[in-house]
Amino acid sequence: MAGTGMFPLILGILLMFLSCIFLLKLLYQHKKTTTKRDSGGEVRRSPVQLILFFGTMVLATAFFDKLGYPLASFLLLAALLRTLGMKQWTLNILLSLMTAAASYFLFVHWLQIPLPKGFIGL
Amino acid sequence: MFESLQHLITGFTIAATVHNLLYCLIGCIVGTLIGVLPGLGPIAGIALLIPATFGLNPTSAIIMLAGIYYGAMYGGSTTSILLNVPGETASVITCIDGYQMAQKGRAGPALAIVAIGSFIAGTIGIFGLVFLAPPLAEAALAFGPPEYFSLMVFGFIVLSNVTGKSFLKSLMMAIVGLIIGAIGLDPVSGDARFTYGSISLLGGIEFVAVAIGVFGIGEVLVNVNQPSELLDQKVLRPRLRELYPSLQDLKKSVGPILRGAVSGFGIGLVPGPAPVIATYASYMIEKKVSKHPEEFGKGAIEGVAGPESANNSACQAAFIPLFVLGIPFGPVTAIFLGALLIHGVSPGPLMISQHPDLFWGVIASMYIGNFILLILNLPFVPLFANILRIPKKILLPLVILFCITGMYSVNNSVFDIWMMLLFGAMGFLMRKWAYEGAPLLLALVLGPKMEVAFRQSLMISHGDFGVFVNRPISMVFLLATAIFLIFPGVRFIFKQLKKGGI
Repeated sequence: MAGTGMFPLILGILLMFLSCIFLLKLLYQHKKTTTKRDSGGEVRRSPVQLILFFGTMVLATAFFDKLGYPLASFLLLAALLRTLGMKQWTLNILLSLMTAAASYFLFVHWLQIPLPKGFIGL
Repeated sequence: MFESLQHLITGFTIAATVHNLLYCLIGCIVGTLIGVLPGLGPIAGIALLIPATFGLNPTSAIIMLAGIYYGAMYGGSTTSILLNVPGETASVITCIDGYQMAQKGRAGPALAIVAIGSFIAGTIGIFGLVFLAPPLAEAALAFGPPEYFSLMVFGFIVLSNVTGKSFLKSLMMAIVGLIIGAIGLDPVSGDARFTYGSISLLGGIEFVAVAIGVFGIGEVLVNVNQPSELLDQKVLRPRLRELYPSLQDLKKSVGPILRGAVSGFGIGLVPGPAPVIATYASYMIEKKVSKHPEEFGKGAIEGVAGPESANNSACQAAFIPLFVLGIPFGPVTAIFLGALLIHGVSPGPLMISQHPDLFWGVIASMYIGNFILLILNLPFVPLFANILRIPKKILLPLVILFCITGMYSVNNSVFDIWMMLLFGAMGFLMRKWAYEGAPLLLALVLGPKMEVAFRQSLMISHGDFGVFVNRPISMVFLLATAIFLIFPGVRFIFKQLKKGGI
């Protein structure tokens, strides 16, 4: 009767059905508006900054356990600030160091969250 | 009714203990900060702070989360007025007249009227809750699995219909959410589904990861992708020439506040992103009834007082379906459902009788929370305004660090951070291509409940699908759903016929 797979199966069928309607709708609209294609007035942004920003987050997650929370958060902040255009390294490092230290004391010492210690053992 | 009032008084004694007052206060302060930070709204904010409530009893936990909710809403209004940047969708309307008021040096009165209006609306809302919730809960006792299933279907269709620009896209997002919700152990038989051998996936996708990802990380990524001038943007110190509204301001606001509170409450009860619709509706009403509609858009205090009051009472009313039926109708209450389940409380018609401390305590705390925001925010407005002066390029990395730390602390797992990043990327693309996150999140939280109701219904009927239409209450919900489903299609065809010149 109603087994494990039934509910997901119904959902899958529904999604396929809706996608078909969506496609048909797009084709229909496309036919009508083919003449004025790609006029989109907004300025295209280079995705480099976005990719660097997201990539930094991915790297920080990948080495989250190994580096330990204090070090990972410091490196993450420094790199993110740099990608967003913080050009002065001294200010950047000072800011990252202070924030990482503050969040370390807040989360690890005050709120007692067991965050990874990593190789530096903090 | 009398009994309810008595319970409410008990609720106040629970909420007014030093312990609970403290959590309410912390919630309000943290919430306001979250509302002010770019990229974090009430949804991601509440989700982020669920782990902080793990050590608390359920009542204190929900009291704190409710405080965060109200605080975040208030913080969102603050950014709308001072910056013309709506902290969340419900305060988009506030930008129109609120920012104009700030431009004229009247940011103080605008912010004050938000707090005063919210407080009055909260007062009206609490009476609505007290008198409506218990009888509704009694009525809901007649609901069996088929009724619940049909009601959830109705909720999804209405929510998808009113969120975003495309009904079809929102509906697809709801189904995607339900499918993601099916990952993990089958809630009925306990079989593993869609886990592909991964132990981490056995427990299902953590809804906190989806909430923070789609609504937090996604939002930050949208901000990063903006032109760099916006990232460097500094906010001018708002001129707080006058801090408090004049007597004339107050006189002008009485009507809008009362109308907003009542209409907002009604809108909050039905499925959909209640606060958003309530604010739009209130603004339209005020513009209609105003003797000088030309002032709207140029800094009319009515345009701030009405929508903000409607916002508050809609938020409060939205808790009724959650507490009484156990079914959230919007993304924020969906997060609350998740939080309640984590704390071992399953809301439903029996919650009022089984957990009276929790129910009445939380309701009383909502009122106290409004009061705290009223006295907290008026003097601290300049302080919050100063946070807004920090450029975005410094705030966004901070938000990311909060998200990663908060996500890790839910289950102490790096896997959850990966999930959060995945849904963050998805959230960014969804924003870019105009897919709504709200139906996805609601569906994810409700998915298991919906499936259980569906399968239990079929067990009752021995596999006969007629069970959903044979039972009268269930059929009413399905009929209403059908109307909502057919309506856009009919409108489309009608438009085509008209264009065709028939």
